[in-house]
Amino acid sequence: MTRYSPLSLAFLAAVIAALILLPLGMDPNGYLLRIMCLMLLFGGLGQAWNLVGGLANQISLGHAAYFGIGAYSSTILFNQFDISPLIGAVVGMALAAVFALILSLPTLRLRGHYFALATLAAGEVARVIANSWTSLTGGPVGISVSYRPDQSWWMLQFQTVLPNYYLFLATFLIISLVFWLVKNSAFGYRLRAIKENETAAEVIGVNTYRVKLMASLLSAVFTAVLGTLYAQFQFFFDPDTIFGLAAFSVKMALIAILGGVGTVFGPWVGALVIIPLEEMANSYLGNSLAGLSQFAYGVLLIIVILINPHGLIPLMQSMKAKVLGRRAS
Amino acid sequence: MTLLQTLVDGVLIGGVYAVLSVGLSLVFGVMHIVNFAHAEFMMIGMFIGWACWAYFGLDPMLGAFVALAVTFVFGMVLQRLLIKPILGAPQVSQIFLTVGLLFVLENAALMTMGAEYRSVTTPYQTQSITLLTVGSERILIGLDKAYAFLMALLSGGAIWLFLNKTRLGTAMRATSQNQMAAKLMGVNTNLMYAVAFGLGVGTTAFGGSVVLPYITVSPSVGSGFAVLMFTVVVLGGLGSVTGAIIGGIAVGVIQSFSALLLPIQLQNLALFTVFILTLALMREGIMGKRRS
Repeated sequence: MTRYSPLSLAFLAAVIAALILLPLGMDPNGYLLRIMCLMLLFGGLGQAWNLVGGLANQISLGHAAYFGIGAYSSTILFNQFDISPLIGAVVGMALAAVFALILSLPTLRLRGHYFALATLAAGEVARVIANSWTSLTGGPVGISVSYRPDQSWWMLQFQTVLPNYYLFLATFLIISLVFWLVKNSAFGYRLRAIKENETAAEVIGVNTYRVKLMASLLSAVFTAVLGTLYAQFQFFFDPDTIFGLAAFSVKMALIAILGGVGTVFGPWVGALVIIPLEEMANSYLGNSLAGLSQFAYGVLLIIVILINPHGLIPLMQSMKAKVLGRRAS
Repeated sequence: MTLLQTLVDGVLIGGVYAVLSVGLSLVFGVMHIVNFAHAEFMMIGMFIGWACWAYFGLDPMLGAFVALAVTFVFGMVLQRLLIKPILGAPQVSQIFLTVGLLFVLENAALMTMGAEYRSVTTPYQTQSITLLTVGSERILIGLDKAYAFLMALLSGGAIWLFLNKTRLGTAMRATSQNQMAAKLMGVNTNLMYAVAFGLGVGTTAFGGSVVLPYITVSPSVGSGFAVLMFTVVVLGGLGSVTGAIIGGIAVGVIQSFSALLLPIQLQNLALFTVFILTLALMREGIMGKRRS
């Protein structure tokens, strides 16, 4: 088990306290709070992706499928049958788990590039279905969550963004905690054995299929619940965005990778860097030229990898060593 | 006789799919890199073909050679700057570098060319010829598709000749089989990588220009074809050039028949399903481990 020094535990406690207290002093409908919501959302997504992508090195390019399933499940149940998004979230989690289970049959024996390709296609399958099943999803024009201002917590709709923020924060912290527990459990060691050498893991008796399936299910369920929260936060989404490669599938992976793939705090750092950067790019450049912010995003991805092609963990660790070294002196 | 017509249509479009995808297979075979940005070079080829037609009145079938030349050089440069540093890096870095390149290329096109769809007009676009007559039914083929197919055959043959009958091609195959041994035999493997990448993206751009008479071009056209190209190469066996050609024709035929049975929005679904099943059931593809 990773040991943390009292100093870093105190630092973590301070960060969490700040995350809880800081929004109280902010404009409850302000732009800043919305960005913080997005940071927690994407931090959570990165953490969920990290469970399989980081720990077991199963590079998924189709996690948006689970996210979209979560968003569509709660929204459709709410709009058509008046069912609370709280129940919708559970339905979405169950459906995402079923999707992960079905997808695992053809994909979980695949390695490396092949797994990435198969999950890419799975995300596309979800997008095509959402675009063409118009009677259920509303089709390519997208879907709005009906507005009911009267019943707040049961309908997960609020006058301000503040409750959304705490929902995102709670989910983010829960996923991080689960990730940390998994990483330090026997289950986590099996996942890391798969990452280091899948054949060797099999030889020493790890049931690689079952271990990977468990991790995928956990990851899918967390991604789906964030999908529901996103729908209740954004009130509108469309298939090409929510199942798109750029908007979610790649971004959640990028957040996990940038911060340090397979580490608990990787997605924290990743979300802290990427989301404000992207918001800045959008607000300064977004309206001037279509495509510029995504172009910049691609450039960033390339630069991040070229700076350290052999993985970002060493880079993070050397930076951390520098920072800590300076603090100690 | 609709079935025979469907089959002929499928083979014609499949030949073009083969040329679009063969470069992806070549790049994987030589460098063991899956280029997620590969389909963007089809889009680039289409824009070059379109520009040649719009500004110089050049037929897209000839513009294809311009597209090939330009993207070949561009590909060599990209290989040196971006791909070379990540050869031997963890797969996660390789995957996300090419995904980053995908975003850069698609959005660079969006910024310079705008989102609108562009098409060319050629005299043969609306003409068709009778391939054969069976009983009272005539099997028709559109001239645009026929020309594209012929160009595809031509470039496929040229790649085969290059790989099998030239010293450079032999050296490239040697590099793909065993990089270290090739290096020891005096092959400049770095040059091979650059040429393979240039040629790979170049043939895809060539294919892009050739289909211009019947597919309109916009910055997002590449992403629409990405999964199709991956299906073709995985079906044929990643890294196998012959496999890509068989895979291309198979995908063309599958698509053509699924058009008979499924509504238009769901045709891609059939393709994705074939793709995932191929990955699951025969990961080495039709051509197995044999690399050509």
